[in-house]
Amino acid sequence: MSARRRWERAAIQAACVAITLFMGVPLYLIALAALSSRDSLNQFPLPLLPTDPSTETMSTFLQSTGVTGGFINSLTVGLGTVVLALLVGVPAGYAVARYAFRGKDTYQLILLLTRALPIVVLSVPLARIFLDTGLYDTTYAVMLLHTALALPTTVLITAAIFVGVSHEQEEAAMIFGASPLQAFLRVVAPQALPGIAAAAMFAFMLSWNEVLGATVLTLNQRTLPAQVLTTLADSPLAYRFAGGLALVLPALVFIAVMRRYLLNMWGTTLR
Amino acid sequence: MTNRINDDLRISRRGLLGLGLGVAAVPALTACGGVSTSGADGGEGSVSFLSTQFTQVEERQRFEKILGDRVTAAKVAFNPVDASTFGTTVKSQLDAGKVQLSLLGGVHGDLAPHADRLMDLDDLLGSLGDRGFTSDLTDLAKLSGSTTKYVPWMQATYVLAVHKKALEWLPSGVVTPQMTYDQFLSWMTAARQGNGNKPVFGIPAGPKGLYHRFFQGFLLPSFTGGQVTTFRSPDAVTAWQYMKELWAQTAPASTNYDSMQEPLQRGEVLVAWDHVARLRDAPGDKPGDWLMLPAPSGPKGLGYMLVVAGLAIPNGAPEAAKAKEVVKALTTGDVQVDVLRQNAFFPVTNAQLPTDLPAAVGLEAAAVKRQQETAGAIVSLPPVGVGARDAEVGQVFKNVFKEVCLDGKPVQGVLDSQAGQLNAILDELKVACWRPDPAGSPCRVA
Repeated sequence: MSARRRWERAAIQAACVAITLFMGVPLYLIALAALSSRDSLNQFPLPLLPTDPSTETMSTFLQSTGVTGGFINSLTVGLGTVVLALLVGVPAGYAVARYAFRGKDTYQLILLLTRALPIVVLSVPLARIFLDTGLYDTTYAVMLLHTALALPTTVLITAAIFVGVSHEQEEAAMIFGASPLQAFLRVVAPQALPGIAAAAMFAFMLSWNEVLGATVLTLNQRTLPAQVLTTLADSPLAYRFAGGLALVLPALVFIAVMRRYLLNMWGTTLR
Repeated sequence: MTNRINDDLRISRRGLLGLGLGVAAVPALTACGGVSTSGADGGEGSVSFLSTQFTQVEERQRFEKILGDRVTAAKVAFNPVDASTFGTTVKSQLDAGKVQLSLLGGVHGDLAPHADRLMDLDDLLGSLGDRGFTSDLTDLAKLSGSTTKYVPWMQATYVLAVHKKALEWLPSGVVTPQMTYDQFLSWMTAARQGNGNKPVFGIPAGPKGLYHRFFQGFLLPSFTGGQVTTFRSPDAVTAWQYMKELWAQTAPASTNYDSMQEPLQRGEVLVAWDHVARLRDAPGDKPGDWLMLPAPSGPKGLGYMLVVAGLAIPNGAPEAAKAKEVVKALTTGDVQVDVLRQNAFFPVTNAQLPTDLPAAVGLEAAAVKRQQETAGAIVSLPPVGVGARDAEVGQVFKNVFKEVCLDGKPVQGVLDSQAGQLNAILDELKVACWRPDPAGSPCRVA
């Protein structure tokens, strides 16, 4: 191996380590702070190893009103959003990828329009519509809003993936007797799985992190971020760390589950 | 062919499984229209209480406990939110005519923009004659109209917290508790020199800090006697020159501080000015090391700002009668003292303060009393009647601070240009001046 090649490999390794640290160090620090006692957070310099572990702030935070309920609501909304967004978004993405129709480019652009308007502007009218239809203060309302917000990414990601699935294979399946639906489910869908997984991940993350819409549309049945974010912004540092960790962990678990599908996208066999 | 059959079988099995899951998911989904996150389920008979106060984790838990223990008339679903969500929720529910909220709690400025969405509470206030609300507060509660729109809930103000270590640098001739702004500046200058050139004074000038209240309610009234009308007077120039000198003796990290109790606890600063509820935890378990002092006084007197929170009932509230019972319970002496004890908001009634207050609250209570009773005290209010634009008005004062103290621009020029901004807002609103400015209408910078 030439010296130059060895140097390149070392540089790649170093870059990988740097990126891992970039992602990992904040997570480590927030976990450390969340599980330290309040007094130890006032020390300077802060110890970088768990010298004074305590679950006091974390348990106080987890016991505050509405955290469990909010967690269940967030999960319901998140999964509901994924299901709805995929149900509507995957066929749309397929259509955009497979069929040429008049105004296709404009359509793709207009898709993004829902993300162009800030929710602050829409909040009062939105809340009014949901109040009038009786959906206000239910997880369905939040689910619908999040689906609307997630659809553009779902459509665009899945469309990009369907373009990559060869149309000939689909036709071949139909020649051998598959109905269009069967051909889609058994030939196209498995190959598009990584893209669908990525779209699902985006939809879930969006729903999990969205605060403003959820706050405006609910009152007594809030999602977790809507329930705790205002609270945390005004709370002492110790609680911000505890809340931060509690909000990050479930999202990490979801990513870990979806990761195996996502990695397939680049042809990796890593499971 | 065999293969083919097997294959078909596999699909149908998988399909069956999927179908089963789908069937199971439908009732599961319909069952979870949501899980309650506000204590009571906000359903039949409970009073839905939306509040801008006690959003902080511990304050909220302590207040929920007070509600649970002391309010027996109804189950209360307490729902603390930030001020903008409060405004949006109240507006959308009342404008759609589908009101789910029964009780609203907020500071004067949160309730003021919704005056015509609130029920008249003259009868309720009349039945609370024994509570001894001062006429100042009940006048304020009319929200510039002729009828009572909210019942006073609690009040607060701002004081100085001082670690006793800072007293060693007190210049000769300067005595606590009551000093002038000039004496305070010489103290902070001496303290900085004594502390190895490291400033010991901090103000909450962070993104969510309340430092604009220092200018609106303390500095400017003390130097100019007014808040808005005297905004660009020669006295105001003197005040901001003073502020520039004080800023030079202030910890530069102040622009990161939202609440001063944390930097005080960490020992980053030894002296700080902030809202009483945001200084409460500073003394921690060593109250003997701490002092709470009234704000300094200026040429025109001791300016201080009063924060008043009120309880209101929206028009069309589903549980209005029960909400009134909750208001009655929250204004009893016991509950008022409980709230002071737990969350450091002071009673608005004639409730007797007990002698066994938590040490930090006791220190604050003494400082607040001294501040109110100082001869020549000038009470000011946060902007009244500017409603949702309170933040914009506050921003004008923050801008002056930034341009004068951080950017070092000449004071008069900054005041002239910001006065234009302030007048532009006030001209649209056409509101009467609030204290300490003389009640002329419309209010604008002279």
